[in-house]
Amino acid sequence: MIWKFLIYLSMTAVIILAFVTTSPMSPASASGDSEVYRIFYFHVPQAWVAAIAFLIAVFFSVRFLQTKNIDYDIKASTACRLGLLFSILATITGSIFARMTWGEFWNWSEIREVSIFILLLIYGGYFTFRSAVSDEYTRAAFSAVMSILFGVAGIFLIFILPRVYPVFSLHPNDSIIDESGVITMGSTVALIFALSLVSFTALFLWIYKISVDINLSARYRAGER
Amino acid sequence: MLKLETKKLAKYFGRRKVFENIDICLRAGQSLALVGCNGSGKTTLLKTIIGLIYPSKGEVTYSENGQKLEFGQYRDSLSFVAPYFSLYEPLTATENLRFFAKVCGCKLMLEKLNELLSQVGLDGRGDDSVSSYSTGMKQRLKYAVALLKKPKILLIDEPGTNLDESGKEMVVNILDSIRKESIIIIATNEPKEYELADGICQLDS
Amino acid sequence: MESVNWTAKVLAVTGKDITSEFRTRFAVNAIVMFALVTLTVVSFALGVLSPSGEIMAAMFWIILFFAAMSGLAQTFIKEEESGTALILKLSCPGTIIFFGKFLFNLLLLIVLAVLIVPLFIVLLNSSAENWAVFIIGLLLGIIGLAGATTIIAAIVSKASIKGALFTVLSFPILMPLLAAVIEITKTAFIGGTFGDISAPIQMLIAYDVVMITLSVMLFDFVWRY
Repeated sequence: MIWKFLIYLSMTAVIILAFVTTSPMSPASASGDSEVYRIFYFHVPQAWVAAIAFLIAVFFSVRFLQTKNIDYDIKASTACRLGLLFSILATITGSIFARMTWGEFWNWSEIREVSIFILLLIYGGYFTFRSAVSDEYTRAAFSAVMSILFGVAGIFLIFILPRVYPVFSLHPNDSIIDESGVITMGSTVALIFALSLVSFTALFLWIYKISVDINLSARYRAGER
Repeated sequence: MLKLETKKLAKYFGRRKVFENIDICLRAGQSLALVGCNGSGKTTLLKTIIGLIYPSKGEVTYSENGQKLEFGQYRDSLSFVAPYFSLYEPLTATENLRFFAKVCGCKLMLEKLNELLSQVGLDGRGDDSVSSYSTGMKQRLKYAVALLKKPKILLIDEPGTNLDESGKEMVVNILDSIRKESIIIIATNEPKEYELADGICQLDS
Repeated sequence: MESVNWTAKVLAVTGKDITSEFRTRFAVNAIVMFALVTLTVVSFALGVLSPSGEIMAAMFWIILFFAAMSGLAQTFIKEEESGTALILKLSCPGTIIFFGKFLFNLLLLIVLAVLIVPLFIVLLNSSAENWAVFIIGLLLGIIGLAGATTIIAAIVSKASIKGALFTVLSFPILMPLLAAVIEITKTAFIGGTFGDISAPIQMLIAYDVVMITLSVMLFDFVWRY
């Protein structure tokens, strides 16, 4: 119970603070309306949560393959469902930002936009696939294998690929990362961002726990135990 | 000595119960008939015992001299015959037998090949492609493939399907020839076939 | 003795598929016809235009990728649809099946490449400046293509909407491979050297090794059910 209130409180604080304090982008170095940069408080945590959700899914996929316990499959697929939700949110907020600053909703040469698109494709394929298989164990085993394969391919895409190619990125790196590559933010900005990150993560975990409980008990009620 | 044991085996598809509380214990030399009308779950039970379907509850244990065997270990001593799988149609009977022999790791000499073919009543037809076979002949070929491994456990779903009188006699001969050293499990709803096994397990729907 | 038997078993699986293919020509037809048609359409559409080597490199891989998607899943789908999968599962370990099918798919792609490359040069008037780079890139790319998609083909063969699902699931996983291999082919087409592409080649080799190893480890989970 207490968690629910803490989450409500901190999220409300984040939303208010995001709009009340000075925008994280100083007008001098911004290419566009500096107000838009406020979306940074929401967009980055959403993308972060989407990534965490996927990692959780991969973890439970491995556990399923080790133990053959369907509960792990339920935990993995619930994580994917939420991961999809947050990916969609991140894509939307990112798109809004893109439109406001660079004039277009989508740009294929932006590496991060491509990555999130691939992530959406992965989730789409994952759920299409799950609906195409009727046996519980087959579905669970195949989903687990696919998650692991996607995870490894994802690692290649996100970490290794950008290192191999000169990356064309529109994402504002110069704003918060200075020449030596260290992240510098004003202390208020850093505080609000950290609070947002924690709030989004807590929100995700809370929704996740409830969803898993619902799905697990739905399965028990269906008499499969 | 191969031993097969199932404990409280159950399978559900969604809310539908296929079978539950199945307890079986079989040793080499023993045989069992799974009996029940259409839809009573004989095929599912057979596949679960083999290890192709994962049970909802309970477990299937294969052991040899007290040592538990995993699927990969007992697979080499297990043979299965059923009407719902096929052999490779573009290949000839001989090519099929050679392929399965190689892939199971058993050496197949020419005499053994011919011997097998005549044991199942297919001598002279070894070089015809399986697509030209009648369903009865295809079923006979499946028995030949099953015998390649010298199985310690033989499972048969509907032994007499597609077979004429001589075919059914062939099945009896084959079973009698391996009965002493192997476990035999058949699934059937033909009362005549009940005699092929020592014991009966009745499944109701 | 055992290791000799292992290779013989793998080759038996590949050989069986080749013999089968020879007599029925399902997969070869699909792949070759698809590639020819796509090549013709591209050639027709380009007309008198002669795009740069870089664009042609990308075109080459688009044709190869989609042709692969139309035919590489056949080897497993055929087993499922003709009812032979069951007896195969009961006959030998998953790893042997994996390598047998992998080699078969590899051969299929080699046949495709041998056919497509000359036609590409002739119809589209486009050729590689640096053949060594091109061939190496092609080989490594084909190995990765076959390696990463074999396990996906096995998964898809048990689902209900096989064809489309195969492409949807393969694309995200193959993305790192496609990015690397297109870059290498581009360099080959415009006359670069090995030095220019040492990074993509290293990544490609790493990708091939990782994906094949992972597929081998995960294959049994897919094949058992």
